[in-house]
Amino acid sequence: MESASVAVGHGHADHHHGPPEANQSSRIDRQTLGILLFIVSEVMLFGAFFASYFFLRVVVDPPSWPPHPYTLPVAVAGMNTAILVSSSFTIHYALESIRRGNRAGMKLGLVATWMLGATFLFIQINEYVHLGFSARDLSFGSIFYSLTGLHGAHVFVGLMLLTFATIRAFRGHFGPKAEDHLGVEVPGIYWHFVDVMWIIVYVTVYIL
Amino acid sequence: MKINEAAVFKWVVIVGVAAAVVIAVTLLTRPLVGALLGLAIVIAGCVYGYRWMEQKWRELGAKK
Repeated sequence: MESASVAVGHGHADHHHGPPEANQSSRIDRQTLGILLFIVSEVMLFGAFFASYFFLRVVVDPPSWPPHPYTLPVAVAGMNTAILVSSSFTIHYALESIRRGNRAGMKLGLVATWMLGATFLFIQINEYVHLGFSARDLSFGSIFYSLTGLHGAHVFVGLMLLTFATIRAFRGHFGPKAEDHLGVEVPGIYWHFVDVMWIIVYVTVYIL
Repeated sequence: MKINEAAVFKWVVIVGVAAAVVIAVTLLTRPLVGALLGLAIVIAGCVYGYRWMEQKWRELGAKK
């Protein structure tokens, strides 16, 4: 450290020290690119679970799916889907609000999204308690809990991100300029991904 | 337009509408019909999504 400062003091100030400057694309900011690449990797993870699901469903080939005597609460899960889908609208409202400089709207949107997400998770856990089968019951039980549990874990992570964004919003952070509300934008994109994933999980596991 | 939350939200709406169609068809007919329709929608969505992303990337590059 000291030798570096001595070197600077001997006329080497024009030389760049340390790692090179990170490249900044003019097309997309680093944070958004980062979350998009992360989502691409997550899609592959979910893809592996869906492949397992269809493999088990087709190869094990029970006379009925879900295998007798198990049933899935389609209506409750459908209501839960509506709750999660509506949370995408509230996070979008939060973002639109801060883009227009409406801080109160952003806070309202964030709190509503957090509450809807927590409600979804609560109903999901409640569903697990009352389902009447566990992950040990046949390959159906294993893949059902794996797929919905994987998604539940993502909702939990999304809620953590939203918690940080909400705390920051109430502390007066974020502004109307795009670079000033990336702390809401990035969790918002992640939340939309979690929402889309649930729609696919619901249609695949509960409806088809 | 930048690739941002608003652009992603549009896709949430598209996926939601597509899922609603698949659910309706499945409930009206058989799960196999719904699954085939779902597969067709996924393939069409992937092709459209790829073209959309390519076009968006070109637009953003042209504004540079």
